[in-house]
Amino acid sequence: MVDSTDTSITHDEQQRDLGFCCIVAFIGMIAVWLLLMPWIPGIAKHSLQRFHLRTPSFSVWAAQFPIPSMYNFANRYKVEQYPPDFVMMILDENWRYANHFPARVITFFAGRYDFLSSKQDRWFTLKSSYRGQILESKFHLEPLEEGGYRLIRIDEVDQTHE
Amino acid sequence: MNKIKKVFRRLQPARLNPPVAAYRIVQLTILVSLFWKWRFFLEANDIYANIPVEDPFFPDWLRSVTTIRLAFWGSALATGIGLITSSKLLRKTSSWLGLMGISLMCIHQGSYNDMTFVTIWWCCLWSVWLAHRMETDQQDVLMRRAAFLSRLIISLILLGGAAGKWTPEYWSGEVLFDIYFVDRDFWVFNYLRENYEPEELREIAKWYSRQVVIVETVSGIGLWMLPSRWAALIATIILSGIVLLSNKYLVSVIACLVGLACAGFFVPRHPRKADTPAPSKPENPVAG
Repeated sequence: MVDSTDTSITHDEQQRDLGFCCIVAFIGMIAVWLLLMPWIPGIAKHSLQRFHLRTPSFSVWAAQFPIPSMYNFANRYKVEQYPPDFVMMILDENWRYANHFPARVITFFAGRYDFLSSKQDRWFTLKSSYRGQILESKFHLEPLEEGGYRLIRIDEVDQTHE
Repeated sequence: MNKIKKVFRRLQPARLNPPVAAYRIVQLTILVSLFWKWRFFLEANDIYANIPVEDPFFPDWLRSVTTIRLAFWGSALATGIGLITSSKLLRKTSSWLGLMGISLMCIHQGSYNDMTFVTIWWCCLWSVWLAHRMETDQQDVLMRRAAFLSRLIISLILLGGAAGKWTPEYWSGEVLFDIYFVDRDFWVFNYLRENYEPEELREIAKWYSRQVVIVETVSGIGLWMLPSRWAALIATIILSGIVLLSNKYLVSVIACLVGLACAGFFVPRHPRKADTPAPSKPENPVAG
């Protein structure tokens, strides 16, 4: 099915086009990254951290935005009114799935309105898994006197391999 | 006689300039994608101003509601100008401004998670490249390259979706069962809930999810290798299918990609002879 006149990287009559070649190379790099993700745990770990806003540096996190990740990983979240170690344990029945970037339930408009309109403390637990690799993150959203919330990361490292 | 010829020339039907037409279709569909998010923008504008979330992970200016307002409106305005302008300089400038505005949306605390802005960003990157190439005298070659780039981008986006689903939770249907089948208000899932028992729904969710994984994988790996027109047609069908069988919010993610796929329809049916480069065509604002 491949038509060499259409896939014109090597078309005889074309002029040199550095911009075109750069974009094709950029796409190729991202494709390789994506294709290696299932086989190289480090790439999956990096991507899971990206989803939980736990990449060590904001610049590195931001540089990954062109990598498409629609409905990636099994992302679950739980929102509670009490700290995770509160004596009256709430059963795990509150878990729901999020399509991608589960921290969206804290930052994105609908989740922010649904869970943070009350001006009361909230605890969020996010759990993402991919081929046996799991990343769990906990966040405390503390209301501020002047309005809004402060996000506090409760745990920094909780990565396990099933 | 000369006057008659001039008048006749004016009356000739406007000739389509394929790169300009393809560029404008993409700008139009970017605007559809952006304004499909109109409700998001209105509500976000209010919610982000009233419920700020202090998170040191993001720089202050990338948590600010002012930044998101400027980025959204700046991108929309630049794309609108790109759509209607005939000025090459203005087209290039507006393409760059659109790309910059959408880049901000992709890393802002209030919008980073929305794949709409990622798909728009890729369309903007394609637009920047094309805007800088339109003065070439090899319009057919340019159009072939533009179409090739468009299906490469669509393949990448589908591959990105597929790669993250190569995990047991998607193969079993567990994830999409919870996201779509439990309570999503959309015609497919409403129909299925009304007509099937919960256990049957789980089985349907499993096969629905496997179908998604397979379609995204196959098209992500293979779409870019197809001839332009076939790739454009198949991409349009697959992308439209994703919206029709998932949810209406995906229109914003998909619309610009459908516009990008349409670039393939502008590729000439037969390759032009190598030794006869086409003369540079004056741009016709009516036709483009």
